[in-house]
Amino acid sequence: MSSMSMSRPMWGVDSRVIVYAAIGAALYGVLAAVSIVIPGSNNVAVRPAFALVPFFGYAFGPVVGLFTGLVGNAIADQISGYGLVTAWNWSVANGLVGLLAGVLAAGSLAKMGGNKIVGAALVGAVSTALGLLFVFSDIVVFGNDFNTALTGSYMWALVPDVIAAVILVPVLSLAWEPLKESLGR
Amino acid sequence: MISTPRYLGRGSWLGSRDPRVPIVVGVLAAVTVIQLWDFRIVAGLFVLAQLYYRTARIPFRLVRRQWAFAIVFVSILVLVNTILTGGEIGDFDRSDLHPLFYLPLLGTPISAESLSYGATQLLRFLTFITIGFPVAYAIAPSDLGPALARLRIPEKFAFGVDLTYRFIPSLAGDLQETIDAQRVRGFEWDKGKGGLIARIKRTIPLMVPLTMNAIVGAEDTIDAMDLRGFGTGKRTWLRELRYDRSDRALLLVAVVILAVITAASFAGLTRLWVFPPLLELAGA
Repeated sequence: MSSMSMSRPMWGVDSRVIVYAAIGAALYGVLAAVSIVIPGSNNVAVRPAFALVPFFGYAFGPVVGLFTGLVGNAIADQISGYGLVTAWNWSVANGLVGLLAGVLAAGSLAKMGGNKIVGAALVGAVSTALGLLFVFSDIVVFGNDFNTALTGSYMWALVPDVIAAVILVPVLSLAWEPLKESLGR
Repeated sequence: MISTPRYLGRGSWLGSRDPRVPIVVGVLAAVTVIQLWDFRIVAGLFVLAQLYYRTARIPFRLVRRQWAFAIVFVSILVLVNTILTGGEIGDFDRSDLHPLFYLPLLGTPISAESLSYGATQLLRFLTFITIGFPVAYAIAPSDLGPALARLRIPEKFAFGVDLTYRFIPSLAGDLQETIDAQRVRGFEWDKGKGGLIARIKRTIPLMVPLTMNAIVGAEDTIDAMDLRGFGTGKRTWLRELRYDRSDRALLLVAVVILAVITAASFAGLTRLWVFPPLLELAGA
């Protein structure tokens, strides 16, 4: 089997990018059904599937990450009952997480710690923390005040999403590496 | 277990419209509602939104769960916002507020203004949701790609959305198979003790095989697209889209409403309207 990997322009959009992006978005939407109620909370649920957004950005580039977050979150919201466009700004925030993961994957952050596990976890955490800042747009879109946007939206999403990203992005990356070699990607 | 998006508005008046109409109306409505804080105007728009929603003839029993989830979720959000605002509402100074009572322990003033704000916020959310449902249920999944492409969205992005909807049913089936296969091996992802981290780790046997199988399976799709020359020229779509008189009328109504509300917003006529009975109760 070919072990030659192909380098592609970071912002190029070809059939591979489109298909991986569609897979990522569809997976995010479908896995939204797999949610975890935070122990001790009043039915607050966490979506581990969120980790797919930084993973797809990290593994396949910023365009794939952007699409996975943007379209995937909209579909996940629709499937879970919240509505496709009700929280469109949260879909944009997820898209930014994927985009940033793709950009950071090519930089020095991904190489920190000396191994890919640490690099993937760092990329997942940083892209999540920065991308989710867009949810402060709730102040304009929904009329929430700053305190609600900070504690009710940003922090509430940030903590479980960063935990999911730090745990699952490295695991998914480690599972993808040997497949990537065998597929010649 | 998984409720994939379904074309529930098939055969309805809205379902028979050009698929671009619900998308454009949704965007125009969102821009309109964002500018409004007067409960009376929002209520009028909500009524219009409900009439619009009813033209999609989406059977309520099939979306009952989604409506219940959405209403509960936004109600909690509004409640949290009302409690966390700490007496700060929009352009109102704290000294302008008319408190009705103070929350025990937190000391947050609940005023005529904050209750009016909360009610208006809730109705805005419900209007967003009412307009958003037809986008998901009244457009045939196969029409989404052509609709987005004809709206000048980059054709590769539009095709990506089309492809995403095509993947959902098969991936949903694969997820159920993976859950069942793991269950046969004695693994139940949703059972077992532990904190949040332990529970997230328990989803690994679901997420990893599903994701890797999906990515590997995508190679066939990529090869098929390359063999058909994807990306080598401008893509055409089998479905021809043309606006008819009803489509134009609906779009014109949405544009006119947006224009009127925007003008009203600039004139300062869409600010928060405090309910008079609440002001009387507060002794104003």
